Amino acid sequence: MREAVPARKGAAHDSVSDLVDDLLAGNKRAAAKLISLIEDDEPEATDALARIFPHTGRAHVVGFTGPPGVGKSSLINRLVRKYRSRDRKVGVVAVDPTSPYTGGAVLGDRIRMADTGVDPGVFIRSMATRGHAGGLALATFDAVRVLDALGMDIVFVETVGAGQSEVEIATRAHTTVVVEMPMTGDAVQTMKAGILEIGDVYVVNKADLGNEDVLVANLKFQLTARDGWIPSVIRTAATEGRGIDELADALDRHAAYLDQTGFRAKREVARARLEILENAQRLLSRRVANRSRMGRAFDALAEDVAARRLDPHAAARKLLWPTRPREK
Amino acid sequence: MIPIAKKIRVLIAKPGLDGHDRGAKVVARALRDAGMEVIYTGLRQTPEDIVEAAIQEDVDAIGLSCLSGAHMTLFPEVVKLLKKRKSGDILVAGGGIIPEEDVPKLKKAGIKVVFGPGTPLRDIVAFFETAGKGA
Ligand SMILES: Nc1nc2c(ncn2[C@@H]2O[C@H](COP(=O)(O)OP(=O)(O)OP(=O)(O)O)[C@@H](O)[C@H]2O)c(=O)[nH]1
Ligand SMILES: [Mg+2]
Repeated sequence: MREAVPARKGAAHDSVSDLVDDLLAGNKRAAAKLISLIEDDEPEATDALARIFPHTGRAHVVGFTGPPGVGKSSLINRLVRKYRSRDRKVGVVAVDPTSPYTGGAVLGDRIRMADTGVDPGVFIRSMATRGHAGGLALATFDAVRVLDALGMDIVFVETVGAGQSEVEIATRAHTTVVVEMPMTGDAVQTMKAGILEIGDVYVVNKADLGNEDVLVANLKFQLTARDGWIPSVIRTAATEGRGIDELADALDRHAAYLDQTGFRAKREVARARLEILENAQRLLSRRVANRSRMGRAFDALAEDVAARRLDPHAAARKLLWPTRPREK
Repeated sequence: MIPIAKKIRVLIAKPGLDGHDRGAKVVARALRDAGMEVIYTGLRQTPEDIVEAAIQEDVDAIGLSCLSGAHMTLFPEVVKLLKKRKSGDILVAGGGIIPEEDVPKLKKAGIKVVFGPGTPLRDIVAFFETAGKGA
């Protein structure tokens, strides 16, 4: 593992409050610097997030998951242009895996999103997982918040598309898009376990290759309602731009459904619960690693457990509630 | 694995019209193997595209690869646009088939370093490592 490098030079010169002011004025450089601060877990990140948070909550967040190479980036590229033609500002956060051996990453999603060029209404950020399991990076949804505060109307999140990413993205995004593609030959057209429960919109991409009817029929047969919403199944050919209007319409219909039924608010609360817990866990991990009182208590408890004076469950309770050892 | 903070981020881009990106890809992989995050943007990017991507990705440095012979206009243009966007702190390196006599001119135009064909990958990696450390 490599040693840490100092903060990027630019960020060091800008104060957090200036950066946030610039962000709220629509400055992309400020948005990028703030995302880096958060991603690098700089000391200023907490302050930055606290300042940004009141200006978020307007963007509709759409998560994309699906196996590697299925066409997620190509679809997002087309959707970005579609939404721009509908005069909406679009943000993208695209996640690729960090190599567990070197800690490095090649982030290639931008190759497929090159059409947007220098459009002022588009912001694309590539992100490596940096060891976070689940097909997303720890900072992914904080980056989404930055883009929300930058004034983006819709933000697309592309996951790594492997492992448990499906589950995590579905708890974070307002709308979850599951992308699949037809398999050739006699391959059984079945889905990975769990995938049928998490999508709001299912896309059968690469329809130009043919053989998509079996998969579409299979999906329609197996899908069940989530929050009272029966998932849409859309055929696309991203490289030709086919089915993109239908896909954008399906995304808009789902967004409207969430608003009309109150499920948007429900999803926000579910996400807040998750985020509070996650942050609490992170704070706890950091506290016990410190030379704080809690850190010393943690070390002592570890000695007790190793010497069989205390079991690990009791030790955990004692760590959290040192004065009330019986609390659950 | 414990999540790692702070990474050197590098944009590898190919301005111009030539379609050869093998060299760019080899460099991208070498930088990844050295622990950096490499954003690869693909072929035929304009200087405007490259600068926009570099700003959004908040990279420490840009590696430009050009085999078409248009480096004398494309490379300095990237440096100029970066300065215009208050991002002159992003270092720019150039590579490709670049005649010896062009190197001083490119350096004068703000290209930090020029890698000719046959430059050991080790040297290229070392440059971006120092770039990331704010040198
Ligand atoms: N024939 C065909 N090819 C497509 C289609 N959509 C994407 N592709 C191709 O499939 C390959 C992968 O596309 P991407 O958009 O990069 O797929 P992805 O899901 O983002 O891939 P990862 O990010 O690596 O997981 C590229 O070569 C695309 O050109 C399509 O509708 N039809
Ligand atoms: Mg992709």
